[in-house]
Amino acid sequence: MKYDVLVIGGGLAGLTAALRLAQAGRRVAVFSAGMSALHFSSGSIDLWGRNPDGRVEYEPFNALAGLPGLRPDHPYNRCGLETIRAALSFFRDECAREGLKLWANGSRNHFHVTALGTLKPTYFSPDTVYNDRIHQAFEQGPRVAILTFEGYRDFHPELAAASLRRHPLFQKSPVTTGRIRLPLKDETGRPVHELRSIDVGRLFDRDQAVEETAAAIRRAAPEADMVGLPAFIGLAGYARVLPRLMELTGKIIYEVPTLPPSILGLRMDQALKNRLAGQGGLLIPGDRVVGGEIRNGRLASVETQMYGPVRLAADHFILATGSFFSGGLVSRPDRMVEPVFGLEIRSEPLRTHWVGRRFFDPGSHPFLSYGVETDERLRPRMPDGRPLDNLYAAGAVLAGYDPIAEASGGGVAVATGYRAALLVLEEDGDRP
Amino acid sequence: MIELENISFDHCLKCTVCTVYCPVAKATPLFPGPKQSGPDAERLRIKNPELVDDSLKYCSNCKRCETACPSDVRIADIIQAAKWTYWRRRTRPRDFLLAHTDLMGFWGTALAGLVNRAAGAGVVRYLLDIFVKIPKERPFPKYSTSTFKRWFRDHGPDPSVHPDQAVYFHGCYVNYQNPGLGRDVVDVLAALGVGVRITNEKCCGVPLIANGYLDRARKHARHNIEGLARAADQAGGPIVTASSTCAYALMYEYPGILRQDNRAIADRIQYLTRFLAPRLADRPDVLKTPVPLKVAYHAPCHLARMGGVVDTVEVLRRIPGLDPRLLHSECCGISGTYGFKKELYPIAQDVGADLKEKILAVKPDLVVTDCETCAWQIEFLTGLRVVHPVTLLAWSVRGGASSPV
Ligand SMILES: Cc1cc2nc3c(=O)[nH]c(=O)nc-3n(C[C@H](O)[C@H](O)[C@H](O)COP(=O)(O)OP(=O)(O)OC[C@H]3O[C@@H](n4cnc5c(N)ncnc54)[C@H](O)[C@@H]3O)c2cc1C
Ligand code: SF4
Ligand code: SF4
Repeated sequence: MKYDVLVIGGGLAGLTAALRLAQAGRRVAVFSAGMSALHFSSGSIDLWGRNPDGRVEYEPFNALAGLPGLRPDHPYNRCGLETIRAALSFFRDECAREGLKLWANGSRNHFHVTALGTLKPTYFSPDTVYNDRIHQAFEQGPRVAILTFEGYRDFHPELAAASLRRHPLFQKSPVTTGRIRLPLKDETGRPVHELRSIDVGRLFDRDQAVEETAAAIRRAAPEADMVGLPAFIGLAGYARVLPRLMELTGKIIYEVPTLPPSILGLRMDQALKNRLAGQGGLLIPGDRVVGGEIRNGRLASVETQMYGPVRLAADHFILATGSFFSGGLVSRPDRMVEPVFGLEIRSEPLRTHWVGRRFFDPGSHPFLSYGVETDERLRPRMPDGRPLDNLYAAGAVLAGYDPIAEASGGGVAVATGYRAALLVLEEDGDRP
Repeated sequence: MIELENISFDHCLKCTVCTVYCPVAKATPLFPGPKQSGPDAERLRIKNPELVDDSLKYCSNCKRCETACPSDVRIADIIQAAKWTYWRRRTRPRDFLLAHTDLMGFWGTALAGLVNRAAGAGVVRYLLDIFVKIPKERPFPKYSTSTFKRWFRDHGPDPSVHPDQAVYFHGCYVNYQNPGLGRDVVDVLAALGVGVRITNEKCCGVPLIANGYLDRARKHARHNIEGLARAADQAGGPIVTASSTCAYALMYEYPGILRQDNRAIADRIQYLTRFLAPRLADRPDVLKTPVPLKVAYHAPCHLARMGGVVDTVEVLRRIPGLDPRLLHSECCGISGTYGFKKELYPIAQDVGADLKEKILAVKPDLVVTDCETCAWQIEFLTGLRVVHPVTLLAWSVRGGASSPV
């Protein structure tokens, strides 16, 4: 079996790389062990939200322009500003082709409410979370109501309201909270508190309960101009349901991310995977790459859990296996390891240094910036200190950045995934 | 006592990703989904086995949840075991009929004319629907007038003329319903210089497991492991099967839910396209005749779980003239005997609705899939002809009149 490019890991970074390569006509296969961080993410793509001193950044591209001086090893510096811009617009177009519209505040950041109710600076948000209409409405000081449904455990409107009230954007806006009763036909006898966003979403995917939900919203927030709802109105159905709810209530309605599984993240996952399938890319879920065979300074093939000794060969490989959370990095009692190839990892030798003093340490956790080190061309070093010619790394597996403190996770994944694809094309002699 | 020592529920992170990908939970609110019915409920069931409820029957054992789980929890196995270890089951004649494919097959082929006509007849279907709870809408796969085993005994080519040999596990479907597919396998292997032997196999056991006949399934497993191991020793070659479900059973259900030691065959079983892919790469010349068709490829759930999709895609890509379109893999809904049960039939059709749409959007000449029950479901859903990948290979290998083009 031989591919032009074999991508290891089907998260944001791996899928972005695969899509760019498929667009260039490459035969690409993506192997992915489990489901990615997108299933747990807000569906917003953070680019650069906070500076090292903790100050919120409103102009991410200004900060990125100064990054080479500040953090020479940052993965963004392996991409360059132009490539970052190209990557973001490519990503947005690919999502749009599958009907997922991403909104950006020009080239500035905007804030979205997280599942925990905090406000976070981000770059792209699904247009059901933020859009021009909402942006403009804020200038009028709208009355905002944050609602949830009775018994739902994965979202707490009071938390969200409390942090919104502290935010300058909401100075002119009274924020209230409320609960609606979901018009569930009790076929199941399941207690409502067991329902997760995905269970509720299915009602809306079947176009059920829209009228009743609209009426419940009107009752729970008669005064509100704008209503925030936890993102549970369906995986695919939202595009029909949300406009209908707005029409029936006469209110602006926007979605707020919930605790996992996050419907907003899932929609992005599905959009990217559908697009890849449409472009002829092959996605193999549920299989883990466990090692590879190196010949003459190149990775010749890899071995997976299911294929065992059958080797999967390719001209190029992209390692996009994510961080600790996805198993791209693993912590052993005495050290960190990259489990597939045993790549060099940047980390402190002592485990006691790994965790910040407090869990929500404003300086975040040092371990978050650990990962695989690469050269300028995103090629990781092998245990002997040398890179292989045809193995690139992208996304959260990389060292040198802190996705939480910087609010940069999604941007780094998209930019480095895209950059890795360009490097592959370049090596093939394609001028992309 | 916990019969199945599957403590993988302990690894559950409570992330609910499995439920996102469960096609049944998507289709009906009556099923709480893999997380709740699997790892969550297992915790309680271990303390009190009485805590099993009817909703477990909705799980079709498609294993999509396991493919999605980031933490390697064997969710579907937990549910299957709970279903049959704890559930005081009320066996129905229908489940007996659906489970015993070899018994049904024996009489089905012996009386093919009668059975096929009866199974197509309105009155009979109406009676089956009412008394046996097999939905009258669902067409019954037709029985062949003769079995593959009989054809092979009388007309099977001598394997010893070939340099290599393989043991072929044909399965009930090939034996009783589609011996032609078995002949396709024999021809494609012969073109590659591989002679075929068969054994006195019994049903792999999947329909028995699905309908609660675990003891009988274990007997079949022991019989098959022994027979296949012996034949593979004699042949000095691998064991191949062209049914993704039989392959999954031989490799994973035997040591898993059935707890049978399959080490004597485990390393030697290969799903057919895995065996073929590297050989066709070496011998592209055997694929002589172009097959100029646009085909939509549906990857069956169990093949996706085993990781065989890559091989089938590779094999399809080698067929000259073929334009294969991969569908984003999802469950067709039938899951073996599941879709033949009246109370589950609407769910099966609901699950399949997405796939139907995607197939029709491709406007293919044919649909290709590795699984016989998927094939029935897709033919029923779309009205299109569905063939096995090996049949396409056989058309190309044989050329001439056997090809539809
Ligand atoms: C819980 C959580 C929430 C986040 N939320 C946001 C957010 O809202 N916005 C934002 O911008 N950023 C967010 N981030 C940051 C996040 O890291 C990035 O946004 C991005 O999703 C990382 O993508 P990735 O492709 O690099 O890795 P991942 O998404 O982690 O994907 C890696 C994939 O590789 C697979 N894999 C691992 N090892 C192997 C192997 N050996 N063989 C085959 N496959 C393998 C994994 O199963 C996984 O599917 C979040 C991160 C986490 C952990
Ligand atoms: S996907 Fe796996 S880890 Fe997540 S809830 Fe389901 S069983 Fe648990
Ligand atoms: S095996 Fe299939 S039907 Fe059963 S819980 Fe898992 S995904 Fe759902």
